[in-house]
Amino acid sequence: MGLMNALIHYYRKVELFFGNMKFAVFIITLFAIALGYGTFMESYHGTEYANRLVYKSFWFMGIQFCMFLSILFATLIRLPVKKHLYGFYVIHSGLIIIFLGSVITYLSGVDGTITLTPNLPARNIQINEDELKIQFPSRGKELSVSLPYSAFAKDLNYTYENITLKTFLPFAESKQDWVPVKIEDKSQSSSRYRIYTPNFGEFVTLSLHPQSDFANTQQMGPLNVHYMPPSLGPCFGENTADGLIVWNGETSGCLAPQKKDIKRQKGLSGKETIEVTYEGQKIRFLPQMSPLPLDDKMNLSENSPYRIFSKKLFEKSPHLFLFGKQAAFFDREKKSWETKAFEIGEETELPWMGFKIKLLEHRADAYPTMIPTYVTPAQENGQVTYGTQKAIEIAIGDQTFWVKTNDPVAFNQGGERIIFDLGKKNLLLTYELVLDQFIMDTDPGTNNPASYESYVTLFRGNAGSTKHHVYMNNPLKYDNFTFYQASYFQTNEGPFGSVLSVNFDPGRFWKYLGSLLLVLGSAWHYMIRKKTVVKPGVARD
Amino acid sequence: MIKFIFIFLMTVTQAFAQMNFCTSELETYPVQAGGREKPLFVLASETIRFMTGSDKIDNLSATEAFCKLSLMAFGMPLSLPVHIKVEHVDAKKLLGLSEDKSSIPATELEAKADLITEEVAQIKENNSYKKELNKVLQRLNAYRAIINARAWTVPLKTDNKIEFVSIAEFLTQSRVESVKDKASNPVKYLFEQSKADYLQIKGDKYLLEYKYYKWNLFVWALFSSIISIALFVLLKNKTPGTIFCILTIGLEIVAMTLRIMISGRAPITNMYETVMFSGFGALIISCGIYFVRKDIVFVIAGLAYNVLGLMMMKFANGMLDEGISPLVPVLRDNFWLSTHVSTIILSYAALALSWMLANALLLRSRFGNVSGKEYRYQVDLIYTCIKVGIVLLAAGIILGGVWADYSWGRFWGWDPKETWSLIVLLVYMAILHGKSTSWVSPKRFVLLVAGAFMSVMMAWFGVNYILASGLHSYGFSEGGAIFLGSFFIIQIVTLLICGVTLGKAKEA
Repeated sequence: MGLMNALIHYYRKVELFFGNMKFAVFIITLFAIALGYGTFMESYHGTEYANRLVYKSFWFMGIQFCMFLSILFATLIRLPVKKHLYGFYVIHSGLIIIFLGSVITYLSGVDGTITLTPNLPARNIQINEDELKIQFPSRGKELSVSLPYSAFAKDLNYTYENITLKTFLPFAESKQDWVPVKIEDKSQSSSRYRIYTPNFGEFVTLSLHPQSDFANTQQMGPLNVHYMPPSLGPCFGENTADGLIVWNGETSGCLAPQKKDIKRQKGLSGKETIEVTYEGQKIRFLPQMSPLPLDDKMNLSENSPYRIFSKKLFEKSPHLFLFGKQAAFFDREKKSWETKAFEIGEETELPWMGFKIKLLEHRADAYPTMIPTYVTPAQENGQVTYGTQKAIEIAIGDQTFWVKTNDPVAFNQGGERIIFDLGKKNLLLTYELVLDQFIMDTDPGTNNPASYESYVTLFRGNAGSTKHHVYMNNPLKYDNFTFYQASYFQTNEGPFGSVLSVNFDPGRFWKYLGSLLLVLGSAWHYMIRKKTVVKPGVARD
Repeated sequence: MIKFIFIFLMTVTQAFAQMNFCTSELETYPVQAGGREKPLFVLASETIRFMTGSDKIDNLSATEAFCKLSLMAFGMPLSLPVHIKVEHVDAKKLLGLSEDKSSIPATELEAKADLITEEVAQIKENNSYKKELNKVLQRLNAYRAIINARAWTVPLKTDNKIEFVSIAEFLTQSRVESVKDKASNPVKYLFEQSKADYLQIKGDKYLLEYKYYKWNLFVWALFSSIISIALFVLLKNKTPGTIFCILTIGLEIVAMTLRIMISGRAPITNMYETVMFSGFGALIISCGIYFVRKDIVFVIAGLAYNVLGLMMMKFANGMLDEGISPLVPVLRDNFWLSTHVSTIILSYAALALSWMLANALLLRSRFGNVSGKEYRYQVDLIYTCIKVGIVLLAAGIILGGVWADYSWGRFWGWDPKETWSLIVLLVYMAILHGKSTSWVSPKRFVLLVAGAFMSVMMAWFGVNYILASGLHSYGFSEGGAIFLGSFFIIQIVTLLICGVTLGKAKEA
């Protein structure tokens, strides 16, 4: 029985350590400090960050587990039952039961939301856990990868076939960066400009590269900026009678035909067709209808590399055409098209009210794009304003790219389409909810909401349907789930949509039971009168 | 609208000019503002105080001033010197005010409104300066609303229902002319008629609020508390003190009952009301403990805490808003609101008693002489208060969990307010558990209890005034944060002064 004795010996040691009052004081204090830290983190960085950093982190769960051990062994060490400690036993068993109830909730509870758009059936519960869906439509296969609930950037090291999930960023902001291209193509160049007046200015990044996040046009107040391949620049400078430009999208070559180079004809439908000879070919267009050329059968040909357009369209309002190191615009005073060439860093005046332009960068060997970067989120007035994006870096073969929340990416690999979608985990209900109407009452004479109410119909397939009224403090209970009025939103069509929080809590009974024991026990322990110190010099009655 | 008003201006102006229209008689006229119906007196006082920081303008009562300013929209010539409150140093600088001035004439501010709007747009951080500028703009807007006759609303009977319209819409030419033959002064007739219609349909319940504010019961309770303390301390006979103590409780019950009747809910929904309820609760708890422990010191501590609360209600207007306004939807459940919040506030009240007794004992043993026996006795009194406090607090936190489960489906959500109430419980639990170890001697116990109330203040005020204001803005420049910061500093200094010598003093 030496082993038994040894076990008892070690058990006593464990019991003494965790059941010790000093350990209790230490762990309670530590728990309180961790909680205080959590509330400040919440205030600065938002609820989700605080949850990831503190409340739902492993170290915090460790503290809670130590609390549990302390409570458990403090009770065990005081056995067998002593009469004057009845209240104590009740309090501590209450706490143990609350703890166990919370573990049940943590392991098998559901806490999510369901978004109801008016008159649209919904059965999708969104759970607050991130996952990456990888879809292979041609194979009819879908893969879901749960992402870690971490506060910081996390390396995933997950591989499936030749897809590798590299880094997950729970909080990110996109920042501009240049990505090198494999084969340099001058017609896919990119530039960064500063366009400014004495009291206002903007950095403008424009790109022709198909993988860039930056477009080739941008609006700056009344000014429209267009970015075009450098080889088109000279055509814009030529002042021709019709202002027509023909260009070849494949070679980036262009022609500004003079009046004599254009043959005009009235077409059958009365529309005017023109014929231009360019690169040894006769090309026909319907310039008033389409930039596409006509084929032999007089149909618009999308496959042709040729396009036509008229500069006349851009003479009425301010349009600025940029070609890397060259700019073209219509000067309304001179009534002619002007071009200006400039080098990097050179200040150039534009014809509109003090506008100036400066080229900052011009590259064809790399394209600009927005790369997600980890940031610590920031909260202002109860709203997270910075670091709201999540992103995951994925590698397929030797290509890497980023997938951001609610912005699915389709990737072509040897003819197979693979779709990556970063979002929240979903749970499907076996029945459907339909929002019939959402009503928001306001306090009389103000716009302050007084109540939120959702009128919903619950469809149970063949079992028929029931009508329900969900509002604050009046949830809908069905199928072990409880649906609570949580939030609302305005749809594009006008009426309000509603968001219900959905909850399934199998630990509920235990938490209630434990709470009841805790309150009764503490009243028993503390309130039932025990020995009190007598006031000096006064006889007790 | 303004142009339209000018058409029949003559009629109305004459009507106003014929008599002294703006009298205190108007105070009892019903208005609708901020989502509630109330007497004009309340609206006028709240608005004038918000704008100017004072209850009067140029010796005119708030209602008279409010009325005279409103009549400016009808062409009544008037030059009331309205000075709009400006508090922040940088805001004064922006408006070209010298530092000793704390207000700017409304007309001058009007000219600088664009300047403020531009400045606000340029400040990225939501700091105290930006908040103050926004506040100044709000004050200016309140002023504009009055002088454009939009702030003052009047009940209008249509199909036996009451709807409120601004006086700009109320005093239309057709309406004034339609009653021209019925009265010598048509405007006065219209106002009286509208009040009579309101009373006929909705009754005079709104006048309770008028009485509530006019009676100033909490100020009388403040006097009565102070007198009671003085009588308990000075006289050997406890009867006179007891009479004033009961009077205090009575006054507060009447005042709170009025408030409950006006708002239709438990009086614990904003900072002002929780301070009010905690003062009252501390007094009731202290009287309760007195019946068990038979020591008048409890009642004195309760009265003293009640005085602190009443003083805050009277003087800390920047931090505690006295006004009654509608609740946000999520709190509109009277049963849970009443049970959960009142339990928590009562627990804070009991802990406040322990805090007062602990600080009193600290100061007495530092600057006076307390025998070992007396010290042990006092520690036991403090312990009694804490016991009541933590039982109530545990119950209150759990009731909060049940309410949250009932209305959001979550027993616990790590929301800062609930987390801090748990921190308070943990702090006191650590002290009570520590009391049984060698770590916490009776002297340390007193120090810890005196300091632990800072966690209560953090849970009660700090969550709203420091945590809720979010990133970068805890500049300790707004009312609540200044109050809390000063409280922490004073408490820590007291602990240091009393704690340092404790090391030398013998253990009791």
